[in-house]
Amino acid sequence: MSANSTNIAIRLVLAVSAMLLVAPCSMAQNTADTASAITVDGKESISQVVDAQTEQEESAINPKEIIFEHLGDGYGWEVPFNHHVRIPLPVIVWGTDGLHIFSSSRLTHGEEYVDGKATFKIAGKDSPHKGKVVEIVDGKEIKPLDVSITKNVCALFITVILVLWAVLSVARWHKTHGHKAPRKMVGFMELLIMFVYDGVIKPTLGAKAKKFGPYLLTVFFFILIMNLMGLIVIFPGGANLTGNIAVTLVLSILTFLITNIFATKHYWKEIFWPEVPTWLKAPLPIMPVIEIFGMFTKPAALTVRLFANMMGGHMIVLVLTLLIFIFASMGPVVLGGTTVLSMVFSVFMLLIDVLVSFIQAYVFTMLSTIFISLAQDEGHEADHPKPQEN
Amino acid sequence: MELFTPDLGLIIWMFVAFAILFFILWKWGWPVIISSVEQRADLIDKGVEYAQSAKEQLDNAREAADKQLAEARRQQADMLREAEKMKTQIIDEARIEAQKEAKKVMDAAKLSMEQERKEAERQLRNDVGLFALDIATKVVKSQMTDKKAQKQLVDSILTDIETKN
Repeated sequence: MSANSTNIAIRLVLAVSAMLLVAPCSMAQNTADTASAITVDGKESISQVVDAQTEQEESAINPKEIIFEHLGDGYGWEVPFNHHVRIPLPVIVWGTDGLHIFSSSRLTHGEEYVDGKATFKIAGKDSPHKGKVVEIVDGKEIKPLDVSITKNVCALFITVILVLWAVLSVARWHKTHGHKAPRKMVGFMELLIMFVYDGVIKPTLGAKAKKFGPYLLTVFFFILIMNLMGLIVIFPGGANLTGNIAVTLVLSILTFLITNIFATKHYWKEIFWPEVPTWLKAPLPIMPVIEIFGMFTKPAALTVRLFANMMGGHMIVLVLTLLIFIFASMGPVVLGGTTVLSMVFSVFMLLIDVLVSFIQAYVFTMLSTIFISLAQDEGHEADHPKPQEN
Repeated sequence: MELFTPDLGLIIWMFVAFAILFFILWKWGWPVIISSVEQRADLIDKGVEYAQSAKEQLDNAREAADKQLAEARRQQADMLREAEKMKTQIIDEARIEAQKEAKKVMDAAKLSMEQERKEAERQLRNDVGLFALDIATKVVKSQMTDKKAQKQLVDSILTDIETKN
């Protein structure tokens, strides 16, 4: 490797780590600020504004509801430029009397749907199962086992297909073209693949890169495509997938499982009998308790980091856009000013989100790699420095 | 908060989707790409190495060829000089030889001429002596007929002898 490319790689790593320090803090700050502004202080002022408006307009704007509707899941998928028509998706529920599959279009506007003997509806605002499909048994709402193809699940499938297409096309290209230099899309994909594989996985895992590489690369591209698809506001995108804690939870559970299933004896010894003064591990197992706690905080941190970053990005853009409608009642000058400002900031935030999409996919992969590599320690080199977690 | 409670349905689907994605890519995706890229990297490394060694060899060959050429030129020049030297030497030798030969011939010729001349002189002397004797005999015969003349002659001869001594 030439000195030049090493230099570039070092700069990139520095830039990424700097972003890691700054981005989540600022995001969290912004998210917290804006969220509290809307939910706490904003509640009165905004609702006053909104109340004042209701006399003139038909529907009031409830920013909190709009934001959470856009951030959350749904049984249909919005069609661009239309608030009423939704792309129907299949609802799959396991109710009290077995499996029911029907189209979500039957429930869209809060109506009850009778399938066989069971009655279903989407729970209203006051219900504890708000927004979810519930079965009505004797006038009570019971939540069935719900494995519907919701908007998020559908987006998940689209992402899987996109990742498969992107990666398999590179693989096919390699099979047909042998050792020629790839160009255009294949070249770009290969650049990304080798950026992660040669830049993160190989240096950290060494000889075991081949064993864990497939999982880590899959995670990277899966997260990256999910993040980027989330930024596209209309149909094939727009689902806030990585900003959904279920998705990040599954990914970090997988990393947790792989870390611990393939762990070496030395790793377990470090947890239950670490090299510390004896009084720290017996009779009171202080260190083992801390170590075991550490086992679980790592995936928890992974889950929350990705979730919070992506949700924060989405929320900021939503809030900025909603500001236009909130300030609409304050006259054309204010409205015009807010519109321009909001649009400028939204575009800016979306551009930052593109960067964050990549960085978070990279960070998740990098940390997973580090966690797996820490559990691969054979104990031959006892005093090698542990990589810093940010 | 709804956002912070993971939805079971989504967890199940996420797990299934990821498992399928991972299986397909693990089987037909990543190994192909990674091994292919690594093989290509090896190939490129080898190619570069080969090109470098080839260039080195070429440089060496060129140097060797230059050296040989210079050597050949030098030898050629040496040979030419040698030939020149030999030529002059041969010519000189031939000249000296020719001079020697010529001198020898001349000497022989001179010697034989001298001998001829000496022979001729001796012959001439003999002949002249004989002729002179004949003539003298004839003259003496014709003149010594009277006594007066004989006497005069004896006198003159005696006078000559006297004046000589």
